[in-house]
Amino acid sequence: MKITVKTFATLREIFGGTGMLYLELPEGSTIEDLLKKLEEQYGSRLDISRLVGENSNVKVLVNGREITYLDGLRTKLRDGDSVAFIPPVAGG
Amino acid sequence: METRSPSYHQSQADKLSPRELERYDRQIRFLGLGVEGQLKLKKAKVLVVGVGGLGSAATLYLASAGVGLLRIVDDGDVELSNLNRQILYGTSDLGKPKVEVAARRLKELNPEVEIEAIRERLMEGNSGDLLSGVDLAIDCLDNFRARFILNDACVERGKPLIHGAIYGIEGRLMTIIPGKGPCLRCLIPREPAEQGRIPVLGPLPGVVGSLEALEAIKIITGLGEPAIGKLIVIDGMDLSFHAVEVRRNPGCPVCGGK
Repeated sequence: MKITVKTFATLREIFGGTGMLYLELPEGSTIEDLLKKLEEQYGSRLDISRLVGENSNVKVLVNGREITYLDGLRTKLRDGDSVAFIPPVAGG
Repeated sequence: METRSPSYHQSQADKLSPRELERYDRQIRFLGLGVEGQLKLKKAKVLVVGVGGLGSAATLYLASAGVGLLRIVDDGDVELSNLNRQILYGTSDLGKPKVEVAARRLKELNPEVEIEAIRERLMEGNSGDLLSGVDLAIDCLDNFRARFILNDACVERGKPLIHGAIYGIEGRLMTIIPGKGPCLRCLIPREPAEQGRIPVLGPLPGVVGSLEALEAIKIITGLGEPAIGKLIVIDGMDLSFHAVEVRRNPGCPVCGGK
């Protein structure tokens, strides 16, 4: 299944361009599986624990809803889902 | 430094002069605001912390809307690298204290409003004084640390706070009403590393600062619904606006018990 990942702010800078990533994942994959895939593909650029680790303030959304209010890392993904990683920003 | 306008003190707080009625005509015509809303704006006192990119847009719109008193706080001087986004200032203002230039500019824009220009940096020690007597505060800061100080002080005193922030081609906004919705510490539970010299395209603080002014006008006049428990994420890259639900954290060290 195809998943669209959108990254924001400082994360967008790490992934480059528009910050959009297009991933192919097996049916039934969860956010945890998606993170593993990101680790495989982009682990050299980004410490994945920055996204969901204990010291992370990054909001992880599936189709606009934060995973904390879904099933957390076990949130199941469906074909065509859109996942967003939104870190806090400080500029003014 | 304080700049007070004699005309403000001469004008009556519970009435609008013919010139005020004309100045605010287009917004008084807006259903839901009217003369009643305009009088609420005239009586309102708003603290704006930071007069950089966000603060430029926010104060220009609040002054033109006729908010009775704007207390503006910033300890910075105008620098050349500010001018891509800080629309209160011009090239001839380089090196001058921001709050002094801002006060002059805002008074020129609207002599009916009172401007208190305070050339200080917001800290734990002065946050109470700065918030004293105001109806609400607007976060136009440029770092996390000061934002948390402002958040904590507002929650403690039950003052509404409009949070805005920007980065690059993105913006964020959330309205915090203590006791009614999440605070900044619910939104950002752990103190993040500061971001240093933050990249920014000028229109972004313009958009977010303008929306902060709009939220302030809404809170003051009771118009519509403020963005409580709703983080507005603006992405200029594809021009999308997202409203992300944010809930109160019952264990929040700042607002959890309030």
